[in-house]
Amino acid sequence: MSTTPWGAGAALSVLGRGARDSVAVAVAYLPFGLALGATLGSSHLPPLLAWSTSPLLVGGAAQLLAVQLLSAGASGVVVVLAALIVNARMLLYGAALAPHAAAWSARWRWLGAYLLADPVYALAAARFSMPDGGGSARHRLLYYLGVGVALWTAWLAMTGAGVLLAGVLPTSLHLELAAPLTFLLLLLPTLTHRASYGAAVTGGIVAVAASGLPLGLGLLVGAGAGIAVGTILTGRHG
Amino acid sequence: MGELLTLVVIGVGTYAMRAAFLVTARRQPPALVARLLPHIGPAVLAAITLPALIAPRGSVAVADTVPALLAAAIAAVMWRRTKNLPVALFGGMALWWLASWALSTL
Repeated sequence: MSTTPWGAGAALSVLGRGARDSVAVAVAYLPFGLALGATLGSSHLPPLLAWSTSPLLVGGAAQLLAVQLLSAGASGVVVVLAALIVNARMLLYGAALAPHAAAWSARWRWLGAYLLADPVYALAAARFSMPDGGGSARHRLLYYLGVGVALWTAWLAMTGAGVLLAGVLPTSLHLELAAPLTFLLLLLPTLTHRASYGAAVTGGIVAVAASGLPLGLGLLVGAGAGIAVGTILTGRHG
Repeated sequence: MGELLTLVVIGVGTYAMRAAFLVTARRQPPALVARLLPHIGPAVLAAITLPALIAPRGSVAVADTVPALLAAAIAAVMWRRTKNLPVALFGGMALWWLASWALSTL
């Protein structure tokens, strides 16, 4: 760490690190973002309305679900319920990051909450779990906001480009695997010890077994089981 | 307008969930909670990834599932070797495209 942790040089180096991490994640998100935008753009909703889910919901799975259900004429209550269940993992991400964010002022935490998304959580959690805890509270905030703003901007741009390219992207360009591969690459860096493997293996297998549950509840059931197993393994092996 | 209203309600609800714990954050969460928190990432991300990997087009089918798992294995190996997300992602996608093309020409 720099000898002047509050200096501009250290802050710049934190921002630079955040920029590098963001670019790598944004490039890896490109196929998923474009494919999702193209799907939104080819729905029965007006393209701008479908794209408005990017700034409103900021989460591909919930955006896709909401737009598909609305296109199919589902009732508003069902659409809201289903999309909120898909996005309920944000509650968990917020809880996981909260101890690292406690020293930030309320204003920045309210803004940070809006920017919270899967890749932002993944990058921030990886950095904050480093031996130095990701540096001072100010440096953690700088990193989080830098990554959050960069990935938010990239997501709006990618999905916007996808909406514009709807119908132009060749259907032979199979992008179905982009989302699961992207999430796999967010998952791999979190596997740092035995208990985290236990949490992931349990979470994945239980989610598959529970994938028949309505409203996408299988994700939450799998996540709950994985968290429980990870916690038990930590208790046993420290 | 009804559709926009529905989307705004989801947006507000999602924002409330994002903010709930982050805004009420405490430096020292209760001991049990503190023990749960490190496992949220691996558990949630795996619960998203695995069902989508084994059914990339919505249902489990050998022609989809086998190439998807191969692509995932390649992406994982490439990430372990290079620690480079784009390289791993496009390596996995390339294998998926190759396998999809091979299966469609059989």
